[in-house]
Amino acid sequence: MLWSIVGGVAVLLVIVLISYFNRFAILENRIENSASQIDVQLKKRADLVPNLMESVKGYMKHEKTIITEVTNARKALVAAGNLNAKVKADEKLEKALKSIFALAENYPNLKANENFLQLQQELSAIEDKVAYARQYYNDSVLDYANLFRTFPGNMFARIYGKKQKEYLKITEAERAVPKVSF
Amino acid sequence: MAERISFHEQIARNKRKSFFLVFIVILVIIALAYVIGKIYGDPFVFLIFGTIIAIIYSLIGYYGSSKLAVASVNAKPADRHEHRQYYHIVEGLCLASGMPMPKLYIMENKQINAFASGRNPESSVICVTTGALEKLDKHELEGVLSHELSHIANYDIRFMTLTAILVGMVAIISEIFLRSLWYSGGGNDNKGKSGVIFLLIGILLAILAPIFVQLVQLAISRKREYAADASAVKFTRTPTGLIGALKKIKHEHIDVKTSKHQISKAIAPLFISNPFKNEDVTSTHPSLSKRIEILEKM
Repeated sequence: MLWSIVGGVAVLLVIVLISYFNRFAILENRIENSASQIDVQLKKRADLVPNLMESVKGYMKHEKTIITEVTNARKALVAAGNLNAKVKADEKLEKALKSIFALAENYPNLKANENFLQLQQELSAIEDKVAYARQYYNDSVLDYANLFRTFPGNMFARIYGKKQKEYLKITEAERAVPKVSF
Repeated sequence: MAERISFHEQIARNKRKSFFLVFIVILVIIALAYVIGKIYGDPFVFLIFGTIIAIIYSLIGYYGSSKLAVASVNAKPADRHEHRQYYHIVEGLCLASGMPMPKLYIMENKQINAFASGRNPESSVICVTTGALEKLDKHELEGVLSHELSHIANYDIRFMTLTAILVGMVAIISEIFLRSLWYSGGGNDNKGKSGVIFLLIGILLAILAPIFVQLVQLAISRKREYAADASAVKFTRTPTGLIGALKKIKHEHIDVKTSKHQISKAIAPLFISNPFKNEDVTSTHPSLSKRIEILEKM
């Protein structure tokens, strides 16, 4: 009788151990996957920028500073190593692109350019997608943190040696509305 | 937020309900087949025949649900280049919710409306009317599509599409049976008392079954509209788009008769707003004003 109780408890314990191990693994996978989704969008944006600069170049001859700013921001994004650095570099690029599009308002010929319009649409869609992907990343981190901090998840987190995950923060630069000087 | 339903809970509940629904409808169909068989002669031939048909029909309904729904409103796949914004919005929302990309369709209709269908997120479809694409701005369209994506994420689509198809079947069987009675006349008088009793049971079942099944369907579908509105806001992080869209739907005046021809009553619960615009017990949707009111509090 006693042995069957001990056996039953042991089996239950193993099941709980496995289920918590898997819950952590699933949430970690989700965070990793959402990080790669952000990465995909950032890469798409970086790939589109040279095309945009190509179509803009002919019209915006006198906007050297902003054009080099975009080019440099893109270079920094491509060179960035980890997700945090990439996201930071991307914020700079996004800001620079916003200035380009704001300036484009002054160039009616450019605004009538089919190629430019399409790129503008594409890039603004990517901007939305980056925001959504970041939102999902943070949602995933939140789910992980909930499991990590609440009982009994916190106990299992210690057993499995799990670490807290970092949220992606919006930097001050992104929160500020981009200023455009004419 | 008085009562918050956790998503996992709702998904599990929807899967469970889907299973029971199929089970119950198959039972109803078998019972109908048996009683009809009793009246027309050999009950067991009817029973076996009825069971096989019910199972095949349910399987087709389960695996072909999204295709059936899309075909029944005569929707066409959305072209990626022509409807770039439509694709961009859904792609963004999929990123926000971590869901696979559904297939996108467009149906020709002046009303602002949309529906989602499928048995799981991997096989899901979203369909919007041409009216919605024309009349809603990007923000509002995003709210509507987010609402549809929530139906997919919550597994509402499996349950709602199954109900639509199975309820439709019970209705068809009952209809056929009742009509056949008009034509068969009094040919079965020689069967005596038991024949009459089964005839009465048959008529009663045939009348009550569709009503009963449909009432269940209606009550459940109204509740999940609120839930889908709530999770739509979770994806977009702002209710303003959906509020704007619902207000536009509320104020648009479209001749309902013309759209009635295009949208079968069976798939009405799938839509974001009731295509028939009636607001009482027989409505598949809660009233738009009530939904707007709740959204504005978020």
